[in-house]
Parts: sequence; C-alpha cells; structure tokens
Amino acid sequence: MRVLIVDDHESFRRLAVRMLGEAGFAVVGEAVDAASALGAVARLAPDVVLLDVVLPDRSGLAVAAQLAAEPAAPRVVLTSSRSRSDFGQSFMWPAGCSFVPKHELSGAGLTALLQQP
Amino acid sequence: MIRQPAAAWAAAAATLALLVVDVVRQLQLGVADTGLAFFAFATCVGVAAALAVARWQPRMAVLILAWLLLSVADDLGVDWPTSRPVSTVWMLGTALLPATYALMVLAYPAGRLRDRSERAFVAVAYTVGIVGMSFPLLFGDPRDCADCAPRVPSLLFTGTALDLGVEAHVFAAAFIALGLAFIALIVRRLLQAPPGARITLFPLGLAAVFAAGDFIAQRVVVLAGGGGLTPTLDWLDRFATLALPLAILFGIAAIRRRRGPVGDLVVELGSARPGEVRAALARTLGDPSLQLALWLPEREEFVDEQGGRVDIAAPGRAMTLLGPEQEPLAALVHDERLVAQRPLIEAAGAAARLALENARLQAQLRAQLGELRASRTRLVDAADAERRRLERDLHDGAQQRLLALGLALQLLRDHGGDPQLLEQAEAELQLALRELRDLARGIHPAILSEQGLAAAVRSLADRSSLPVTAKVADDRYPLAVETAAYFVISEALANVAKHADAHAATVSVARMNGHLLVEVSDDGRGGAAAEAGGGLQGLADRVGALDGRLTIESADAGGTTIRADIPCASS
Repeated sequence: MRVLIVDDHESFRRLAVRMLGEAGFAVVGEAVDAASALGAVARLAPDVVLLDVVLPDRSGLAVAAQLAAEPAAPRVVLTSSRSRSDFGQSFMWPAGCSFVPKHELSGAGLTALLQQP
Repeated sequence: MIRQPAAAWAAAAATLALLVVDVVRQLQLGVADTGLAFFAFATCVGVAAALAVARWQPRMAVLILAWLLLSVADDLGVDWPTSRPVSTVWMLGTALLPATYALMVLAYPAGRLRDRSERAFVAVAYTVGIVGMSFPLLFGDPRDCADCAPRVPSLLFTGTALDLGVEAHVFAAAFIALGLAFIALIVRRLLQAPPGARITLFPLGLAAVFAAGDFIAQRVVVLAGGGGLTPTLDWLDRFATLALPLAILFGIAAIRRRRGPVGDLVVELGSARPGEVRAALARTLGDPSLQLALWLPEREEFVDEQGGRVDIAAPGRAMTLLGPEQEPLAALVHDERLVAQRPLIEAAGAAARLALENARLQAQLRAQLGELRASRTRLVDAADAERRRLERDLHDGAQQRLLALGLALQLLRDHGGDPQLLEQAEAELQLALRELRDLARGIHPAILSEQGLAAAVRSLADRSSLPVTAKVADDRYPLAVETAAYFVISEALANVAKHADAHAATVSVARMNGHLLVEVSDDGRGGAAAEAGGGLQGLADRVGALDGRLTIESADAGGTTIRADIPCASS
C-alpha cells in the first residue's frame, strides 16, 4: 500500500511516516498543505491519502471531496486532533472517506480500516 | 486680510468724499439741479443701507458700497469733464458700473455668486463694459468731438478713425442682451430660493428688474439713433439708484416684522417632543434644509439631535451661532440665501434656548451611549478574537506535541518497551489529550468558525448528558452573532445538565425579520435567574453587546426557557 501523508505539523508527519513504515506501508510522499497535496496525488498516484481535516490553505474536507471526484481516486482517510464527537454524530463526512482521530492512529488500525470495503 | 467691517467703513467714506467732489464740481459749473440733489440723496440712503447690513452681511456691504462708489464716479461724466483725473475716474466708473450692479444683485444676500452661470454672466458683463469703454479710447479720433478732446486721448491712432457709430450700436445691442439675461437670472433666483429667503430677495429683485428695464431702454434709444439720455430715462435712472437701497431697507424691516413667528415658535416648542426642535426651527425660519448643530464642548464638535456629527462648512450653506461666541450653545446651518434673516434666526435661537439646552443634553447622552455600545461591542469582539487565538495556539502547539508523543509511545511499544509502563503512559496521555480538547473547546469551539452554528449546535446536543432535540437551519450568520448564540446554547445546556433535574431539552435557532432567535427550554424544576457575576448575566451582557436581548422564563416546577434575540443585519 502506497501512502501519502498530508499534515502541516512536522513532528506528526515524521512519527507517522515511521509508524506506518514499520506497519508495512510504503510512505511515498508527504505534503504540508492542500495545494501541494493535490500536486503530490497527481504525481505519485498513492493508494491511500492520510489527510488532516485542518490545513493552512484549505479545509481537508474540501480536498477530500475534490479527490473523490477524480477517476482512480485514492482511498482517503481523514484525521484530526479532534475527536469524533467534536464533529457531531450527524456530521456529513465526504463520500467514501473514513475518519481516524490522531490519538487513535496506529498501523494495525489503519490496515483494518482499509480492509473494509 | 482687511477686516470686512473696516473695509465697509473705508468704502463708505470714499463714496461720500467722491460725492462731495461731484456736487462741488457741478455747482462750480453751474449745472447743479434737482436731479443732482436727488442723486446725492439716493447715494446717502445707499450708504446707510450698506452700513445697516454690514454686521450681518459684511461682504454684501462692501459690494453695495463698491456699486455706489462707481455710480458716483459715473456721475462725474455730467457735462464732459475736462481734467484728466476726473476724466479717468469717470471712465472707470462707467466701464465697471453695470457689471458691478449685476454682481451686487446676484450675490445678494451672502455676497457670493451661487453657480457657474451667474459667474459666467458677471465675467461677460465686465468684459463688455471694459471693452466698450476702451474701444473709443484706442480707436477713436479726438477730432470727432471738439468739446471732448481732453477726455478722448486716442492712444493708438490719430487722424483717420473708425466709424464709431457702428461700434456704439454693437455695444448697445450687447448691453441689451446682457440686461435681458440679468432679468432671467433674477427670476430664476426668486423661483429657486427657499421660502424664508424670498421676503428679502423679492423687493431687491423688483428694484433690480426696474433698473435693468431702464438700462435696456437707454440702449434701445441709442439703437434708435437717439444718441444721449432723454430726461425721462435720466430720472428713471435716479429712481433705480434709490430703489435698491430702499429694497434692502425694506427687507430688513420685513424681517423685524417677521419676529412674530418667533412667538409661535415658543408655543410650538412647549409641546415639541425631543428630536423635533430642528423641524420647529426649520418651519419658523422657512428653510426646510435647516440643520441644527449642537455644540458639545467636551468633544469639541457639532452634532445633530441624534448625536451624529454635523458638517457645518458645506458649500452654499451659512452658519449662525447661537449663544456666546466663545462657548456657543448651538449653530444653525442654513441656506446662505437666508443670511439677511440673521436677526430673525438669532431671535428664534434665543426663543428656543431652553429646548436647545435640552436637545444638547439628549444629543450628548445619545453620543455617549453610542460610544459605550460601540466600545462594548469592541470589547466582546476583542475577547472573542483572543479566545480564537488561544484555541488555535492550543491546537497547533501543546495538542500536536501530545499527539506526536502518542505516536512515539506506540513505536516504543513495537520496539520492546515495558508494556505495563507504556500502557500507563498512554492512558495518562489520552487523559491529558481529552482534557486539553475540552479546554480548547470551552475557550472557542473550532467547529463553530469552521462549519457554522448548525454543526456546532448539533455537536453540543450530541455531547450533552441528556437527550437534546436541536432544530437548527444550516444558515450562516456574522461570526459575532454565531459566537454569542453558541455560548448561550452551550451555557444553557450546561445549566440544564447541572441544575434543572430535567429529562430532556430542546434547542431551536431560527431567523426572523433580520433577527436570530435562539431558544433553549427544558422540562426541569425551573427557578433559574440571572445573578450578577453568574453565567446567565455574562450571557445577557454578551447578547446585549450585539444590541440583542436575553430573557429567562423560569417558573417554579414549570421548566426553564432561555431566549436570545440578536439582530443580524448581514449574514
């Protein structure tokens, strides 16, 4: 599984790269904002994009919606420092996206999540 | 700059001195007659009228005296002057007299021309007057006129000369056209003037039309080949000279008579509501455009009855100060065509003094209230901005470090760290993260600024410890309004959970007539009230800062309903 990590916090990216790497993922790239994320997806064609909900230039939700509309779209896993309840039960996540709070992120968890259809 | 009253006195002295020269000269020549006596009388009345208006209309006084001075100079032409100084003064007077008369009449009463067409007219009148006089000087043949050789020192040519008959006809025709245009301008001024100004403009206009008619008739005689003035026209000319100062004096008398309405004003002000003082003064003075500018000494500015700033120096407007000059009570800003009515305006101002004092206090209060409200709004805005910044800092700083630490702990576990210790550390970390998240959310809910009130309220309802039904439309409102509404709902739901002993609560948010209506009600035991320093009082202050209202309905055992009504003009 080729993964692109999109997050504006450097320490999170560094540790996530290592953790996902050790769990058997191939982290093919990192991006710090929405613009570079879209560029990296086009260039690297990853299978999975781990996408922060809050990015400096645009909302990660908007990026997810844009990616989902493209042909051969990668799986998008949204992540955030906030918990699910911050968004509310009735919150409409972009179609085809999963959500993992950052404090619950793990290699095994991500593998399990991606095995679901 | 010369002070204008001083300029008026100097011009008056010069006019009278020149008049003496004129009379003495005519007596010496033996041509003095009743016409001269009448002219001297008319001139003295004119000087008196000019000095009478000097206090209220200083520019006007100078213009009237300039006209009188030139008309005495023009009179020096009786029986062809033979001395060069007298001849020069006579020629200047004759060249400048008609245009100066027109300027004086059109500039009445403020001493200023009102628009481009009036200015253009006066410029053309001066040009025609000056060219008409210099033409024979430059091109005339001194031998044409044996008697007047000394007065026509042809500057360019001697010997053969142009046919001056044609030139005289051309200028007579030009002056007739100018006279007709002048009458048209006067009629236009009378029609456009505010009703209160007509009482002084009308007599003056009548005198001016009379003078213009006589002026035109003289030129028609020239065109008809008559040459000089007929005795009738000569007399009409003298009457016209007298008519103008009489019209000005008549206007002054009419204004004094009109002090009657000031009595009515006193009665009217007795029953006027606050904010109606301006309207009453505008009616009394006959100027619907009248502005009342109340002087606020501590702010050193003029404000209207609503407390808004007033510009007292707009073009075409004149200001009359009421009260002592050093410490005025108020100023009336009115059409400048009303300056002749200043005695009436001052009388009205004096009659309205009490009402004005009152209006000033009210305006002061309104201005202070407006400032207070604005500063309260600014304080809440600043506090909200600070809260957003704090939440952002927590999110980007401490929270991210802790999350990174969590990932590091997971990695450590995979690298053979003590599982028991690691589990303990992770549990601590999750607790710290949750507390930090709660803290950040309490400071400012990021979901509110990112996704709006509806999402934030649903999230609140989801997290509440009791069932909450939320009816919120997905509209967006100004951030300050959304923030206030959010905190009202959040605080109210927290109160329900803590104190109300309720089974369920409902939240509704709706927009109605440009207001955001927020309602939180429960089925608990009631008895809630806003206490100073309490959470509900804080909410009432926050809503009040946006000009909104917070009401609490809480009968014993009847549940509690908290309503906030917040105006939101823009969305």
